[in-house]
Amino acid sequence: MVRLGTYGQRSAGHPVRLGQISAGSAIDVGGRDRTGTVGLIANPVSARDIRRVIANASSLQVADRANIVLRAAAALGATGIDKIYAMPDKKGIQALVQRGLERERNMGHRLPHVEFLDMSITSSVDDTHRAVDLLAELAVDAIIVLGGDGTHRAVVSRCATIPIVGISTGTNNAYPEMRESTVSGLAAGLYSSGAVPGSVAITDNKLLEVSVNGGEITDLALVDVVASTDRYVGARALWRTESIAEIFVTFADPEAVGMSAVAGVLEPVGRADRYGLHVKLGPGGRRLKAAIGPGMLSSIDVESWTRLLPEQAMAVTPEAGTLALDGERELELRPGDDVSLTLRPAGFVSIDVGRTVRWAAREGIFIEP
Amino acid sequence: MADNPFPLDTEGLLEAYRTMRTIREFEDRLHTNFATGEIPGFVHLYAGEEAAAAGIMMHLRPEDRIASTHRGHGHCIAKGVDPKAMMKEIYGKVGGSCAGKGGSMHIAELDVGMMGANGILGAGAPLACGAGLAAKHRGQGDVALSFVGDGASNQGTFLESLNLAAVWNLPTIFVVENNGYAESTSRHYGVAVDSYVDRAAGFGLPGITVDGTDFFAVYESAGEIIDRARNGGGPSLIECEMVRFYGHFEGDAQTYRADGEVADLRRNRDCIKTFRSKVEGAGVISADQFDQIDGEVIALIDEAVVEAKAAPEPDVAELLTDVYVSY
Repeated sequence: MVRLGTYGQRSAGHPVRLGQISAGSAIDVGGRDRTGTVGLIANPVSARDIRRVIANASSLQVADRANIVLRAAAALGATGIDKIYAMPDKKGIQALVQRGLERERNMGHRLPHVEFLDMSITSSVDDTHRAVDLLAELAVDAIIVLGGDGTHRAVVSRCATIPIVGISTGTNNAYPEMRESTVSGLAAGLYSSGAVPGSVAITDNKLLEVSVNGGEITDLALVDVVASTDRYVGARALWRTESIAEIFVTFADPEAVGMSAVAGVLEPVGRADRYGLHVKLGPGGRRLKAAIGPGMLSSIDVESWTRLLPEQAMAVTPEAGTLALDGERELELRPGDDVSLTLRPAGFVSIDVGRTVRWAAREGIFIEP
Repeated sequence: MADNPFPLDTEGLLEAYRTMRTIREFEDRLHTNFATGEIPGFVHLYAGEEAAAAGIMMHLRPEDRIASTHRGHGHCIAKGVDPKAMMKEIYGKVGGSCAGKGGSMHIAELDVGMMGANGILGAGAPLACGAGLAAKHRGQGDVALSFVGDGASNQGTFLESLNLAAVWNLPTIFVVENNGYAESTSRHYGVAVDSYVDRAAGFGLPGITVDGTDFFAVYESAGEIIDRARNGGGPSLIECEMVRFYGHFEGDAQTYRADGEVADLRRNRDCIKTFRSKVEGAGVISADQFDQIDGEVIALIDEAVVEAKAAPEPDVAELLTDVYVSY
């Protein structure tokens, strides 16, 4: 059994403690120069779609999202990070975070300086794209992302080389795990400050590349691609199982809700496995029960399923309909469109929060002198 | 014609287009004619917001009731009020929806379930609770809808109505038409927590946000939310994020808007253009069919204006009729 501690370069006998970390100095660990700065993308409009009405899905309030940011910031500050670059918004998160920071300062609490990026705000996914571009220019060490699968997808679509730390505030949330933001902030800070090497903290993630008509349109999904017979984007969410024709997943997790769960109850596939799963729906196979959304347990007829092998383009021939990416109808297809999918095992990087904090604990980093 | 991929049949798609085009033409004509000084009172135009009214109202029956706002022409037309009677009402003439005595902000037509535009901000929500309570007691699956702007959603009446609807589990739906401005004040300045869904959540109601410039997004979401209310699922809120092509009122200099803002919205977020492009692009309805509707709508509004101008003003003796009720 490989001990986590053996991944790192640091000697267990000479642990780096939180108080000794000097943020801002460039430290090369795991092949990356670090700037001691962290980016933050908090989507104010995730978890707002029709599933609130049809499935009692959660509706995380903006005030709660701001508090999640403040808790992550506190953890980042404890690891020595003193600068966070954040995406601005006009939906209330920025305003509430600024009020919260002022409140904390008034009470003498030290939090990192949060600088909101200088960019125009459209209150659409374009804001996420623009913010990620700016964060990449600033060479932040990691990006903390608040949102669901869709928000994380938007981040990765612009930059797959800066590790992300996902915090679940969306609806299905197969990709971002449910975890307290304090711990997520801690892991980001431990990596960004140089306390934990990249060889420990960073992990590769799979994604599905989508190409329509030989590259006329390209897109990606972190968790699932669904060929739906719904032929308009409309309310975006997927909830009518009769319209789902085929499902492609990077990992199949019966602990998730959504398409990953459908595949997961057939054959669980882990995030680290080098293959995915392709499920064809229809009569003639077996009927299963799966959580296709929060509180939505549906019976689904599965015709067949096969493993999706890495780096092999797979032609999909859906009837004209839509392609849903990570749970939302995105692309309206015309009859005759050629769709190709490729599973990329090393599609983007993230920080493995659990592994990072466990390694830090074993190295004694949390022990105060 | 190609296979129809949309959630409405051809007739339904044409109806949706006709409704949106009628609203647009009605409002554009008022914009022009108000500037000549021939229209009394104030008008607040709905141009740019048509997809919300059409996408929601296509799910309603005459028995379903709506409470509108000061910007109510679009709601009236989509709910089935006669545009000619509306035009006469706005011109203050005999034959108007309210005998020419109410004007733009008080158009009502109870026979089609239109309880009235309303000059008092936030005043429609309690009315929709009343209509929802009546519908619940009748038990025939009717629903009531309250429209409110993002600014008026700060009114106590609106928040109290969310509470009442939740407590009584009324078949009442709150539609927040978020065009970004409370008159001239940006919602980012005037709303403490800029999420109307959060406001609903505070009272235990589910809420959703939808792109109000996408007819199909509104139509699909509204269908679910209205079916839920019809079947005893209770109240909910739908926020339509939309755009306003004209000022708060006619005559508004709009100095609070950025240079080029409206031009950009007209170019990129015109719900009618989007609808037509999508449906025409799918080969379901031809350009000729759409053009024919355009022509019919223009002719209808031409006639409405001519008839409104020609109609007599109400007699002075009519001043107090229909105003007070004896029980």
